[in-house]
Amino acid sequence: MDYIILSVTILAIGIVGLVTKHDLIKMLIAIEMITAAATMNFVVFGSLMNDSLGQAFSILALSVDACVTAVALALAITIFKKLNIRDVRDLSEQTEEEPPTVEES
Amino acid sequence: MWLETILAIGMVISAVFAIYLKETVSSVLSLSTMMILLSLLYFNMNAPFAAIFQLALGAGTSAIFLLAGDSLTKRSNEKTSKKTLLMGLIVSAFLSVPLLIGTVVPQSFTQTAEFSLSIALWDLRAIDVLAQGLVVLTAALGVVLLLKEERRRK
Repeated sequence: MDYIILSVTILAIGIVGLVTKHDLIKMLIAIEMITAAATMNFVVFGSLMNDSLGQAFSILALSVDACVTAVALALAITIFKKLNIRDVRDLSEQTEEEPPTVEES
Repeated sequence: MWLETILAIGMVISAVFAIYLKETVSSVLSLSTMMILLSLLYFNMNAPFAAIFQLALGAGTSAIFLLAGDSLTKRSNEKTSKKTLLMGLIVSAFLSVPLLIGTVVPQSFTQTAEFSLSIALWDLRAIDVLAQGLVVLTAALGVVLLLKEERRRK
């Protein structure tokens, strides 16, 4: 099976989700999907070249991906606790209405 | 051949449902299913270390993070309608067609995976591993600072 087709399909689904969804958690799910598609390429090309370096890179990428998720979720929780907002459209409206002052930031 | 195709189609279906479903818990479960199928695909490609990491981090840790994030924030009361489910099925069926048509090339490592991975990771990419440790520590520090700031304000 052509794994590249699968990788591109998952990447496309993730990008569509990132563009169309406005919920912060849903956007994170889409980002997870995009990174999984990108990481898959490391393993696939590594196996094509018969090299374990692809696996090593995928392990590094997966660990960094978990860190990204943790930081993004911490930001989402902070935003929710501070502004009671989970929708990015509301967040944009909030920042347009009330620009943060130097003291607040 | 058929196993890879089934796994790939399952991945596409669960990815589409992870985006389409309105309930966040169902979306996270769909994403976890996709990650589990991806790790099975890695096992099938004879890449066990990548598969185990995918299973532990992609399916396990990320799902726990996302579920914790969902439970700590306000949940929406929206429920997935049958029309949305049907739409998701049609989209996933449409996206699965290229996978069925795609040529089947079984790929697997022929060399001893354990030996060559340890060389690749510790000899060739030792600095990267150290830098990655720094990245993980920085991320942990960032999360602690973000959540601590919130506690101080309270």
